[in-house]
Amino acid sequence: MIRIERRIDANPWWTAGTLVAALAAGMLASALIVATAGADPFEAFRTLFFGAFGSQKAVMTTLIKSTPLILTGLATVIAFRAQIWSIGQEGQVFAGAMAGYLGSQILAGLPPLLFFPGVILFGVAGGLLLGGACAILKTRFGVNEIVSTVMTNYLAIYLLSYLLAGGPWAEIGDGASYQQSVPLPAAEQLPLLFGTKLHIGVLLPFVAAICCAVMLDRTALGYEIKALGTNPVALGHKGTNIARTIIAVMCISGGLAALAGVIELYGVGHRLKADNLVGLGYAGIIVGMIGGLRPLGTVLAGLLFGGLASGAVSMRVVSDIPASLVPAMQGIILLFVLCASVMARYKIVRGTAS
Amino acid sequence: MSLLPSIKEPTPANARKAGTEETPLALRVEGLTKRFAGVTANDGVDFELEVGEIHCLFGENGAGKSTLSACIFGFCTPDAGQIVVRGQPVEMHSPRDAIKLGIGMVHQHFVLVPEFTVLENIIVGTQKSGWRLDDRAARQKLKSLCDAYGIEIDLDAYVWELAVGRQQWVEILKALYLDVQILILDEPTAVLTPDESARLFAIMRKMCANGMSIILITHKVAEVMQSNRVTVLRKGKAVATVQTKDTSPEELARLMVGREVSFSVNKSTVAPGDTVLEVSGLGARGYWNEAVLNQVSLSIARHEILGIAGVAGNGQKELFEVLSGVRWSREGTIRLNGEDVSRLTPRAMMDRGVGHIPDDRFREGLVGPFSIAENLILGWQRNAKYRSGLFLDRGKIAALSKTMMARYQIAARDDEVPVENLSGGNAQKVILAREFLHSSGLLLANQPTRGLDIGVIEYVYAQLLQKREEGFAILLASEELSDLFNLADRIAVMFKGEIVGVVDPKTATVEEVGMLMAGRRMEAGR
Repeated sequence: MIRIERRIDANPWWTAGTLVAALAAGMLASALIVATAGADPFEAFRTLFFGAFGSQKAVMTTLIKSTPLILTGLATVIAFRAQIWSIGQEGQVFAGAMAGYLGSQILAGLPPLLFFPGVILFGVAGGLLLGGACAILKTRFGVNEIVSTVMTNYLAIYLLSYLLAGGPWAEIGDGASYQQSVPLPAAEQLPLLFGTKLHIGVLLPFVAAICCAVMLDRTALGYEIKALGTNPVALGHKGTNIARTIIAVMCISGGLAALAGVIELYGVGHRLKADNLVGLGYAGIIVGMIGGLRPLGTVLAGLLFGGLASGAVSMRVVSDIPASLVPAMQGIILLFVLCASVMARYKIVRGTAS
Repeated sequence: MSLLPSIKEPTPANARKAGTEETPLALRVEGLTKRFAGVTANDGVDFELEVGEIHCLFGENGAGKSTLSACIFGFCTPDAGQIVVRGQPVEMHSPRDAIKLGIGMVHQHFVLVPEFTVLENIIVGTQKSGWRLDDRAARQKLKSLCDAYGIEIDLDAYVWELAVGRQQWVEILKALYLDVQILILDEPTAVLTPDESARLFAIMRKMCANGMSIILITHKVAEVMQSNRVTVLRKGKAVATVQTKDTSPEELARLMVGREVSFSVNKSTVAPGDTVLEVSGLGARGYWNEAVLNQVSLSIARHEILGIAGVAGNGQKELFEVLSGVRWSREGTIRLNGEDVSRLTPRAMMDRGVGHIPDDRFREGLVGPFSIAENLILGWQRNAKYRSGLFLDRGKIAALSKTMMARYQIAARDDEVPVENLSGGNAQKVILAREFLHSSGLLLANQPTRGLDIGVIEYVYAQLLQKREEGFAILLASEELSDLFNLADRIAVMFKGEIVGVVDPKTATVEEVGMLMAGRRMEAGR
């Protein structure tokens, strides 16, 4: 007889094993879908892999694609670890890009050493305010954060639409029908690293992940975030201001997501438009979850998803497999990883019953 | 597999054995062993229940009482050994099988539907009446049962209207209604006043006189002494079965713990000093704007323990919440060393040296997944003592937890163990260590011995008395009158949010306090 029992102590090998198995199972399930679509799964995975990691250029694309995903993933980690179910990352990415673009109009002409930190701060402030607003709705008026963050997502997305569709920031002339701003001048685009195609923003997610890890692990705020996520009653009874902690969490989370938006604007899109931003926030939720709500896990998950996104491009170019398969794969992998995270808490016992 | 109990033919040995008994056995458990994930909860337990007896299962938390009763009630299937009901070996796969065999159980946490009436709660799930409930016959039967046993209860009252103590009668009535022959009662008196618990025992004796047999699970010595026989469990083994009349509380405690236990407390005589806490006219409202505290006035001096007696839910929790700053009062004042602290936050109260031992330790006092070390600084994580620069000083926190684990005898593999894996006693020690370390002057202890083993209770007593000697003022609420009579210098009794009397434990009797707990005011007033 085989039984499943709850584990008392987590076994890291078992956890890692279930995760690898989940990824493999996710790939297998995706392969089945490719096969039913009439394409060759091996061919699909080959192009996907080479498009993601097969060449120096592919790796660079992967890094660039994973940059915003890791940041929105970290935003998810900070919020979800506190059991604050913010799904406002999408809107905060937009807010970050908009506030960052506003910054460029105010700070234009400053030397790069002041300009870039300046616009990044502008962008971060945008997401921070949006997240903070939801936190205040939650702490003062008891508005559920899921509802408020979804609503602010719409607010931010349509605000951008308004600004660009004939609004004050719309490009006039040939590009007017595209809902986009004028391109940023070359001086206002993020510089590239040592003559590569990588903008310097790709370093930020790694810095941010280390900061988040240290913050969660080593600081009083991190302690409070984790306690808020596991026993807010005890935390409050023992004198920590819960409302203040919630506001801090949602501001940090909003700021991280906004960072993704402003880096996309200055590093990749070089002009303000929704196409570059859409979906980054929602994908970040998946990345954070797959990363086990841990900063370093989120970096790995972000690289995986960045690779999938980069591979999808080459799949579209090289073969006739639809690139829209990739979001389906992401979803499938998430489902398997979520199952694995439950599995990791159990073990299989070969029967001993009577 | 069939859900029906598979009743084996009695073996000749069993038949002979049953035949030669003087008193017929209602139930026999032979060599029952049950393991959970490597932990042996029951190890070859033998147990016999005679018809018409109250048989106590007595032991510390984790001694295996609950597991044994769960096996008898069909919740668990034993790994080895067998259960014999009225001479027939049985195999039970669910409580349904047990009920068919005439075994009933009243759980520590009642399984009643609050929105149903008493009658509905009793007959739902017990009648084969199809869609419509026909309650006439049931009502008739319940009425006669109430009369026969002297149970006073309104069958049409909603369960949510009933006090917790009364809900117990519903559970018992349900067992009677089902014609249960063997009844398991799991810590039935935890929520009762002394008076109610005496009535419960009277009813139990009547049930036994009518041929029922009762298994009573408890860890209170006073209750054990009212039974016919006692089986003491220790670490999963049945260490002894004795006739109650041939034993003494001291002997039982020794059997339970496995060593000598002193019940007498060494309380020094120190004169109370200056007043530390002065509360006057305190009032607070609950969620539905109902009065939960009404005109509560009390004061505690240095070197003094003020006991609060009362059945759970009479405002003790709210009083502690107001005093610790978690809840704000509507009226009245709180003075701490002369300063008005009526509207301060928990933070401000903690900074003024107020320690709080909450009654629900895992919910209010500890963060379950956090380690012992982390829980020791809960609430003080921003204190400069535990920081170096921006970061938590892990070295210092680890050193602290090592010291505390040694000083408070916290049994755990190391200080990285999540507190949710600790036993209740060890978890309580973590709270004691933290609160004693960070408080000065006033200690608020709500039910500090709840659910703890005798050994740990002794320890908590000693710690509280030591703090008293050091000059702390201590507010101690407990449902266990023995705690209060052992420790307190004065006992205030709470009923429905009010203090209905203050007595001196040196002169008062348990009965007097019990009357007050049941709401009968002192003649002389306060």
